[in-house]
Amino acid sequence: MSVRWSDTAAAFRRMALLVVGVLAWETAARSGLFSPLIVPSVTRIGYQLWLLATQPDSIVEACYSLARALGGFALAAVVGFALGVLMGRSAPVAAALGPFFSGTYPVPKIALFPIFIYLFGIGSLSKVLLIFLECLYPIVITTQAGGRAVNRVLVWSAANMGASRARILRSIVVPATAPFIFAGFRIALPIAMIVVIITEMISSADGLGYLAMYALASFKTDRMLAIVVVIALIGIALDRLVVHLRDRLVFWERLDSYYAE
Amino acid sequence: MSRESVERLAAPSLLIAVLVIWQIATAFAHPDFILSPWEIARHVVEALWSGELLPHVGASLARSLPGFVFGSLIGVVLGLLAGVARSLDQLLSPVVFLTYPVPKIVFLPIVMLWVGIGDVSKIAVIALACFYPCFINAYYGARGTSTIMVWSGLNMGARPSQTFRKIVIPSALPLVFAGLRVSLALSFILLFSTEMINARSGLGFLIRQSESSLRFDLMYVAIVAVAALGYAGDQLLLLVRRYVLAWQEAIR
Repeated sequence: MSVRWSDTAAAFRRMALLVVGVLAWETAARSGLFSPLIVPSVTRIGYQLWLLATQPDSIVEACYSLARALGGFALAAVVGFALGVLMGRSAPVAAALGPFFSGTYPVPKIALFPIFIYLFGIGSLSKVLLIFLECLYPIVITTQAGGRAVNRVLVWSAANMGASRARILRSIVVPATAPFIFAGFRIALPIAMIVVIITEMISSADGLGYLAMYALASFKTDRMLAIVVVIALIGIALDRLVVHLRDRLVFWERLDSYYAE
Repeated sequence: MSRESVERLAAPSLLIAVLVIWQIATAFAHPDFILSPWEIARHVVEALWSGELLPHVGASLARSLPGFVFGSLIGVVLGLLAGVARSLDQLLSPVVFLTYPVPKIVFLPIVMLWVGIGDVSKIAVIALACFYPCFINAYYGARGTSTIMVWSGLNMGARPSQTFRKIVIPSALPLVFAGLRVSLALSFILLFSTEMINARSGLGFLIRQSESSLRFDLMYVAIVAVAALGYAGDQLLLLVRRYVLAWQEAIR
């Protein structure tokens, strides 16, 4: 009982904090100390949010961003899973590819964006491939760690009972690696959002990143802040989605992905 | 050859094979924006001497280092404290964990509006991005402190400040370094993207400018410099970690 009470108290305090924050913003906006160009009032941001949510045009822009982020992420998830399991379970593959991944991990792949534009055009393809590249690393590295950590007694038992290599992979390695794979997904998905927004800010004529820069350039601060809120909400929603999927699929073990290697 | 030597040679031979194929491929007809590895190396050396590169490296570091230091310092300190003090935990953690998946680059336009288009806005966004991994890792590091150790310390008469300094901080350090490593990589990503979006100096600006003026040699030089900086920063951090966490490496 006491636990539940402290939970509701904490939730109440959190809500109070949010309300105080919004009220402080609103008073600052209405005090006349700041130009509405710098600090637009909450009501104006809310109005712009309403416009964003109801205008079909802006929903299309959001879909562009989402499609790019999820496309690159999905590609990285498939390739990263395959590479990670291979590297985790095969010493020669790990020896050949491991140094490559750990060596180029700290290199910001975003620097390759101009080359990607020349190679794959200024449209969606260059952005999707850059997202793929940035997302690949966390997924490969966490999956490899998971593949290595598979309990070898389980593998031996299965081999002893006559399981084929494919069967061992399917029935033991993949389920045992799954918590790690989801940990990698949870690191990679925010990265996909970062990269899609960055690339759209740098060079694009569509998507939410472009919309935010366009609103800024036309001094529509309220609109820009509304777009920031939308991007933030999408980021949070995608994270919740991964957590939900993980809790459904990998119900036996949860690995907190906030421990990034 | 033994299995070990095959595995040791696998990565270097793969790298050399890729470089050789790349070099041979560029001997045939190819678009202007693809340079051979040999040409890139030559241009890097030339740019180092001509002074086309170093001022931009300095400008980039002057932005990324303060951002990284401020952001990660505040993140580590607050994360450690939130891991220990319940009131701070209830106040901060929900906000941090909720906003963690928000791409921090979206705050660049707002910050630009508030503090101007110059270096301060870039440093602020880099610091904001570096804050999160450091906070979260320090938080889990502090919370993962073995209860028995804390009890033993208190039992032997350690004051709370001593317990924090001698027990909580050392046991959180491995995760703190993991957080620092993520933050450092993030700081470089944010640095180059903010410089690509708007700047008059720095490596991100150099990449953009040389790309749009078709100076592909300079573009590759800047990309190599970016890669070298990211790699060197990471290695430096690992070196510091090996020094600070010598006791932990010894246990492994």
